[in-house]
Amino acid sequence: MRKILPLLLSLTLISFTTGCMDRIIIEEVSLALLVGIDLDEKNNLVLSISSPVFSEEAKVKEEVYITKAYTLRESREEVDKTFLALTTGGKTQAVLIGKRVMEHQGWFKLLEPFLRDAKNTVNARIVMVDGIAHQIITLQPKDKPRLSLYLAKLIDKDNLRNMNVKITLEDLRRDNYENGITASVTELRKDGKILVTGTALLDELGRYKLSIGPDENKLLHILQNNIKGEFSFTFRDANRPKGEIFPDDAYSFSAGSISVKTKTGYQDDKFTFDIAVDMRVALTERFFPLDILKEGDKLEREMEREFEKRFKKFIGKIQAAKIDPIGLGIHARAYQYDHYKPVQNKWGEALSKADVNVKVKTVITSMGTTK
Amino acid sequence: MRTYAMNEITLMQYILLVHGAQVGTGILSLPRQLAETSGTDGWMCIIIAWAINCLAGTLMLLSARKYPDFTIIDLFNYLFGKWFGKLLIFPLICYFGFFGIDIMTNTMLYIKAWFLPKTPEYVIILLFAIPSFLIVRNGLRIQARYVVLSFFMMLWMPFFLLFSMDSWNVLHLLPLFKEGWGPVIQGVPKTIFAYTGIEVVFFIYPFLQKKQYAIHGFLIGNSLTMLYYLYVTLVSFLFFTPDGITSVNQPVLSLLKNIEFRFLERFDMIFLSLYLFVVSKCWMIFIYCTVYSTSRLLNKQDHTSHAALYFLLAIAVIYVVKPTWNIADEWQTTLSYLGTVVLYVLPVGLYLYIRGFERFHRVKTR
Repeated sequence: MRKILPLLLSLTLISFTTGCMDRIIIEEVSLALLVGIDLDEKNNLVLSISSPVFSEEAKVKEEVYITKAYTLRESREEVDKTFLALTTGGKTQAVLIGKRVMEHQGWFKLLEPFLRDAKNTVNARIVMVDGIAHQIITLQPKDKPRLSLYLAKLIDKDNLRNMNVKITLEDLRRDNYENGITASVTELRKDGKILVTGTALLDELGRYKLSIGPDENKLLHILQNNIKGEFSFTFRDANRPKGEIFPDDAYSFSAGSISVKTKTGYQDDKFTFDIAVDMRVALTERFFPLDILKEGDKLEREMEREFEKRFKKFIGKIQAAKIDPIGLGIHARAYQYDHYKPVQNKWGEALSKADVNVKVKTVITSMGTTK
Repeated sequence: MRTYAMNEITLMQYILLVHGAQVGTGILSLPRQLAETSGTDGWMCIIIAWAINCLAGTLMLLSARKYPDFTIIDLFNYLFGKWFGKLLIFPLICYFGFFGIDIMTNTMLYIKAWFLPKTPEYVIILLFAIPSFLIVRNGLRIQARYVVLSFFMMLWMPFFLLFSMDSWNVLHLLPLFKEGWGPVIQGVPKTIFAYTGIEVVFFIYPFLQKKQYAIHGFLIGNSLTMLYYLYVTLVSFLFFTPDGITSVNQPVLSLLKNIEFRFLERFDMIFLSLYLFVVSKCWMIFIYCTVYSTSRLLNKQDHTSHAALYFLLAIAVIYVVKPTWNIADEWQTTLSYLGTVVLYVLPVGLYLYIRGFERFHRVKTR
């Protein structure tokens, strides 16, 4: 008896573990790879879901469903009425949200099911669509792979070049709950085909405030000290003639290593941030003659001046909008907690009064193969 | 009198038994609980609690050292007399039994929430019970071997948290002592549930081969747990923002959800199912101590029938109660209170009693 007992028990165990009551057959699941959220003219919520079809007979490999619903979770049942299979959100690649939705306070609540149901992923990319989200979801570009994969790749690739932020649902939740930073999400537009236009910045309540393009997004990443991938810039030298057809004053470079140091202070009832940016750059393009050996530092100063001008403009923009996509509030809390604590719930306003100075120092490390 | 010759354990097994009994489900929600009371300074509570626990455990061992061959049941018999001793030891055994069920319930709820929402509670407990029974019915040496095996098999797990390093921000930890010492001290009681487990030294001490290293071994085991908790808590604090960490129930699991590989997107699922090995160590030791004690109380040599009974009872309890997160939370709070008594009041009381008892005896024999 003692000897066969383990055997007997093991057999019981095996017979129980064949999937329990939660077995899922892949053909019977429809994976909501893209989810779109819109508001129509009467402010009704419109939800759209795109999922791949696992069937040889189906001509179109994607099914899309658009519905008016009260919440995302409820829309799932609506969708199941026509879809071949049961919908799950475990593999969602991107959530596309219409601009109209983002302009209203409290839209973040709509993403609840992704955060609450442990089966759903939190790595879905969050995208703001400048326009209507389901117009993008219903696109079926012929020269591209499946839309869901294509979109995911597009965002990741552009993020590598620092043209837009890549924000997953988890990042958005973190930014949203944190007082010291305001959220920013990728921005898309449909213009015949799909274009990633840059980054949309949100305010403390999650409302859409303003958009920035690829150039300013690079500045944002530098200020955040989020230095990954490629940073390439094209500047115009103010001291040179413009040129008639082809530009004579342009030069491009990519920054190899960037170091960012933020000093936080408090003076005269306002915060001061001194951000020192140190860059080592390599020239990639130059349309005017210049002897780098002799006049290199002149170009470096010119670069610094241009950078500082751009930083100043960018910071002025976010201060005017009373937002803090950089996360300077996190610095303020870490170093000036006593002053930060009273203003932590209206940090955007405190930042708009703060002094933010960016000092840039560039060193040209290489001029390329042409002299 | 050495009745435990067959089941002696080595120092290594002893260390890992102590460590294994401590690390259970508590760690998954610990960072959040600490952040709720102490903010970003919460990790300091772990170090303070560690020092307190080192003292408590040392006191336990100092009491046990006087009677090296006595298990806690023999000790209570000897100190308080046959009947009164049994009466006193009974609540302690109940505590251990309750603890075993509670850890299984907690684990079951995680498994249910993360993979098997439709499977009934008692079926999951049954699945836990069968392999556990096969181990628990054996002697302590087998438990120890299981603990050592699963410890080394699962040694890689903490390192996977490093994949979240991209999103770390050291600024989240600053400034230190944000609100002074007050919140740090307030957070210390939150760690009790996570640190409970050191009380098993009462049961396993007589089985240890080299008793002179008992205190060292205990300190190593307890420190191992502290480092483990400190590491996990710091990673969670670095990853989540100070304002945001309190919005997630189990920061460790939510953090794992963010780790993606090119070939595997939902790594958290695999992690959690393998984590069962780690948690199972914990409940098995508690259940072993329970059934070993009850069979000793009834003067039975073999505890197989008691182990079987325990698991059947556990399944029955789960079937009837159908625990929810709220019930599990209440149980955990109750156990934290009981744990405070067992961890801190009991060792001090016992130590003082033994001092008095011995003096009294010496006077009598003189």
